[in-house]
Amino acid sequence: MAASNKFDAALDAFARIVGPDNVTRAAEARYEYADAMAPRDPASYAPRGAVAPASVEEVQAIVRLAGEHGVPLWPISRGKNFGYGGSAPRIPDIVTLDLIRMNRILEVDVEHGYALLEPGVGFDDLFEYLTANKIPLWMSAPAHTWGSVVGNALERGVGYTPYGEHASKICGLEVVTGTGELLRTGMGALAGSKTWQGFPYGFGPAWDTAFMQSNFGIVTKMGLWLMPEPENTVSLSMALEKAEELPAAIDALRPLKLDGTVQANPSFGNVIRTLATRATRAEYYQGAGPMPADVLEKARIKAGVGHWNFSVRLFGDRKINAINADKVKAAFHGKVSAEFQQSEWNRGEPLRNSGSPMPSLGALGVVDWLGGKGGHLTFSPVSPFSGAEAWKQYTLIRGMFEDAGFDYYGGFTAGQRYLNHITMILFDRSQPDMLERANKLFPRLISTAAKNGWGEYRTHVLWYDEVAASYDYNHGAMRRWNEAVKDAVDPKGVIAPGKMGIWPKAYRKDRA
Amino acid sequence: MKLAAGWLALLAAIPGAAQASSPSSGKEAFEGRCSACHAESGWATRVLKRRLPGDQAVLAKRTGLTAAFVKVVVRHGTGSMPQIRKAELDDATLDAIARYLEGPK
Repeated sequence: MAASNKFDAALDAFARIVGPDNVTRAAEARYEYADAMAPRDPASYAPRGAVAPASVEEVQAIVRLAGEHGVPLWPISRGKNFGYGGSAPRIPDIVTLDLIRMNRILEVDVEHGYALLEPGVGFDDLFEYLTANKIPLWMSAPAHTWGSVVGNALERGVGYTPYGEHASKICGLEVVTGTGELLRTGMGALAGSKTWQGFPYGFGPAWDTAFMQSNFGIVTKMGLWLMPEPENTVSLSMALEKAEELPAAIDALRPLKLDGTVQANPSFGNVIRTLATRATRAEYYQGAGPMPADVLEKARIKAGVGHWNFSVRLFGDRKINAINADKVKAAFHGKVSAEFQQSEWNRGEPLRNSGSPMPSLGALGVVDWLGGKGGHLTFSPVSPFSGAEAWKQYTLIRGMFEDAGFDYYGGFTAGQRYLNHITMILFDRSQPDMLERANKLFPRLISTAAKNGWGEYRTHVLWYDEVAASYDYNHGAMRRWNEAVKDAVDPKGVIAPGKMGIWPKAYRKDRA
Repeated sequence: MKLAAGWLALLAAIPGAAQASSPSSGKEAFEGRCSACHAESGWATRVLKRRLPGDQAVLAKRTGLTAAFVKVVVRHGTGSMPQIRKAELDDATLDAIARYLEGPK
């Protein structure tokens, strides 16, 4: 059967499951499910169609039919993974399995502090739900809140409360496998379990993490721990005027993260990251190439911001926060030239500025930095929690950005024992030269990072293979293991071929 | 705090807020689905102010918008705005929003 006929036949079969209104044909899918921030022609890696089920049973039926038709599926939750490919698949000969209609908040247990969610639930939805019902639990969220709570946690997204390492707050998954079976992980493997969202491990091997950044199954339900609303939060914000002060600040923060004084994830954002939320680059500089240092310094002073800007937020009891705030201030005093600006929030006050994430899409505005048709690629190496090593990574990567003609936009978000260095190549999609430079820069960043012992925590769909190849210990033992598992659990390779560089046997010819 | 089982049951199986109810008008739909970016203080309005004069950046006040144009922009995206697909915003709701934005200001 010709390829197009095969996909048409599969979409016809899917339409009999979900109804024709919930199937998108190739002509529309080429733009509706394309990468909105694409660094190249988005149609070149857009899918051949999409199907949007509303229930687990429909997902199972679609997976089975996909296997029969030899058509692979690319699951997305809400498709807002901007900078990493959005809703776009790794290969175009695929049907997107759009889970956005599965958007129920199935349970919120206030006493035990968790939610059970479907993949289509957005951060905005969860926030509205918690606040409308006066539930004293806080979610954690990334910079913009359009995306899926489930999808973001599964991609190991990062937020800024003590629960900001989202993947670590997952407890219990329901998964449709590549053969259409249904399983539950952890304690959920016991029918009628009373602790599915309480004890993360179950009995025997624990598989939750194997379904994160993975193509081993399709997650249809996810348990997520939510943080009890604190009595008080304290914000200690600082603007470092000199770029060279970054290492001292990182080293001052490290012991506070290690011993738990600071439980949230402070993020050291550079000056361009701050400026891009306020204006376009043209307001400061109209020349080509990266902004010269003297121009950037003038822009920084004009905007009244630091070269690095960050906030240490403390969550908890007021008295304990007061003690910890003194501890934080003492740790930084004398190490850097700036002082903290302190503010406080107490339970019962409006949530704005509390540290509780509020619905916001403002972070998307940075893609207008260069005007035109904004786009971005996110490059996210992990750094040791060391000022010296972060400085080395920053200067090397910044230099590579600037050599390629881009402004360095980035920041270091502090985990408990690591730093997520999240950088963005911002470009104007209407300028082919800029896209060409971005496409050449990105693989160079990957290989340079790997040579220095730095791996990416997440990457854009177009570069899964390059990043997977950089994880090369023992000649790629991890990739061989992943693909052995993939072939065993999804023998037809139905689910997301190529996701994270994991290719099922039938599709390995497509590896870059 | 242990809440009554009945209360917890009430919480179960409720759709996400954004899809919870069908808007009764294009204005209501616009405010519910678009205002996070296109309110007067939204980031999209700030971006449009860099390109358009006066109130024209505020979509609810902009003159000269046609429903057809609105629908193309929503489905395909434009500038820094990502496209919004049918599964996220159904055709009927998009029609209502487009007619509202086309209407007299």
